[in-house]
Amino acid sequence: MTQQILVAVIVVIAFVVSAWKLAPARQRLRALLALDGWVSRRPGLAGWRERRLKPRIQRAAGTGCSGCAANVGTRPHHPPQ
Amino acid sequence: MDAAVSTPSLRVALIGVPNCGKTALFNRLTGSRQKVANYPGVTVERREGERTARDGRVLRILDLPGTYSLSPTTLDEAITRDVLLGRVADAPAPELVVCVVDAVHLPIGLRLALEVKRLGLPMVLALNRMDVAKRRGVHIDVSRLSAELGVPVLPTIAVKRGGADALIEAIQPAQWEHHRSITRPVWQDATAEDAEQTQSDLRGLLAAVGYTAPKESAWMARFDAVLLHPGYGLLVLVAVMFIMFQAVFSWAEAPMDWIESGMAALGEFTAASLPEGPVSSLLVNGVIGGAGAVLVFLPQILILFLFILALEDSGYLPRAAYLLDRMMGGVGLSGRAFIPLLSSFACAIPGIMAARTIPSWRDRLTTIMIAPLMTCSARLPVYALLIGALIPAKAVGPFNLQGLVMFALYVAGILSALIVAYVMKHFAGARQYSPLMLELPDYQWPHAGNLLLGLWERVKIFLSRVGGIILALMIVLWFLSTYPAPPDGATGPPIQYSFAGKLGAMLEYIFAPIGFNWQISIALVPGLAAREVAVGALGTVYAMSAAGDDVAGQLEPVIASTWSLATACSLLAWYVFAPQCLSTLAVVKRETNSWRYPLIMAAYLFALAYVASFITYRVIGALA
Repeated sequence: MTQQILVAVIVVIAFVVSAWKLAPARQRLRALLALDGWVSRRPGLAGWRERRLKPRIQRAAGTGCSGCAANVGTRPHHPPQ
Repeated sequence: MDAAVSTPSLRVALIGVPNCGKTALFNRLTGSRQKVANYPGVTVERREGERTARDGRVLRILDLPGTYSLSPTTLDEAITRDVLLGRVADAPAPELVVCVVDAVHLPIGLRLALEVKRLGLPMVLALNRMDVAKRRGVHIDVSRLSAELGVPVLPTIAVKRGGADALIEAIQPAQWEHHRSITRPVWQDATAEDAEQTQSDLRGLLAAVGYTAPKESAWMARFDAVLLHPGYGLLVLVAVMFIMFQAVFSWAEAPMDWIESGMAALGEFTAASLPEGPVSSLLVNGVIGGAGAVLVFLPQILILFLFILALEDSGYLPRAAYLLDRMMGGVGLSGRAFIPLLSSFACAIPGIMAARTIPSWRDRLTTIMIAPLMTCSARLPVYALLIGALIPAKAVGPFNLQGLVMFALYVAGILSALIVAYVMKHFAGARQYSPLMLELPDYQWPHAGNLLLGLWERVKIFLSRVGGIILALMIVLWFLSTYPAPPDGATGPPIQYSFAGKLGAMLEYIFAPIGFNWQISIALVPGLAAREVAVGALGTVYAMSAAGDDVAGQLEPVIASTWSLATACSLLAWYVFAPQCLSTLAVVKRETNSWRYPLIMAAYLFALAYVASFITYRVIGALA
């Protein structure tokens, strides 16, 4: 029985990791923001939120130069619409 | 509390034109204390490292993408400018800029230095490759240059131990303390008048420092006469590629055997140590049989990259680009497509991203569409497994037959890409020629330290994939191959009754005409996540079926005994064209801003793969 439970936990983690790694960046950002909303209501997790979650969200949300409003002229070429 | 703790670290950015020795200098400054990632939201490589200063504080050193100017024409150049201006998320503006200038080609680097200086950030100028400059008769009055620019100018030889000592001394945090809080970069878009002013300043500066241009090197000219010759040069290029693929097989044999034996021993040890049950099955068949089967191919990937890095470091790769420009132009590709296509041999994703440097949308789209036909390193394990299993390791003249087949597969990918580009050219009509302009660097011996660091990065990337997405998918596949358990009285192997077995049986209807059995059909599905996963998936599927009790690390003999030559060749043909991994399709969607092109790409590659496999299977089947 212990073996079954251990394997079930490992398989669930593997499913979650696979889904996370294969998910589009936008979905991952949405998931991180949802997690942030949940964590923000729990003062006990404030330290973790500042140290780990926020930098992660910042990385996921950052769009480099292609997302910067000041930088329209150097955006990569896109097909004619 | 000491200074090291109370005072924050100093952020230093290295900037320079491409091929000025900036990355070698970065390696010299940071050693192995560096990490490679991407800038947020874009696949432009971000290299960051650390160095501990004399007072114990940390220098955070950022190696910016090479650029000729702060008025960007490509994404890489835009990132460089934006980092300097503090516009990039997660990359605050540097507090000190080290502008690396190749002393041999002083004017081009100095022009960038003048632009950087106008930003008003604290700056140090590293005059790199001074040894080569002296040998080539270049004269620069260093102290006058420093006085004219108003910044410290330090001669460096990045590839030599101790060659950056003066620079290290100059970037100690204590010396820049007073600039930290007062300096903010100032930017305004350059006008035509600004560009003229910069050019005029540059001419004045060069005259003031007594700059004399480098003498032509006689031996370099002789080398170029051969290597850039349209006939001999092409022969040399083919020979270099040929030797590379021979080496991938010949040199990797011993280390692969060691890893294979290690995996087999680990599998046996785990099976013997744990009581029989799902945990033992998961570890032996899922983790070791799956992820372990992929790990075996690390030596081959490293040898391939050793060659690519050495060719790049020696200055040969830009010459190869020049050589192929004409041929690529003939099929409707821009010469600028060479570097993106070459990057695609590592992975199609950076190749597709690198196509951003192509100004014409049509040329860029053609390059994106054919980039996946270049054989990416993730395909190497699949090729190596099938060739190792079914092609005898015998000599054909001075060559290894397995290496010849590998070379042929790479050539098949390149030829297919050229044909597809040619077809696209005819569909799209006439185009404007976009010339290739690049600076040919001097020849030099590849630097061992740079090669080792480059290989170490590949090891980290490969291991993180094996330990990340590949391991996770192998566990998922093990679950799908194990459950539900076979019903009472079942006679076939348990996997046939599992989710994966049922999926494989369905897919077999589609793939049976091209010779794929249900095990291969199952392996193709997780192979969509990452190609090398197909190898691990075959390891897991065969470990779970009756075909072998001890498949971990020993997939080759199982394949050799259960597959026909026609089936193996058909799978090889499949992987020359194989529909792309999902990440590649996602990147194409992002780069083209449309679902239309990734769908066209997936459809045409699937059709090509199916037709090629069908013909291969039928022809070899008939001949056999």
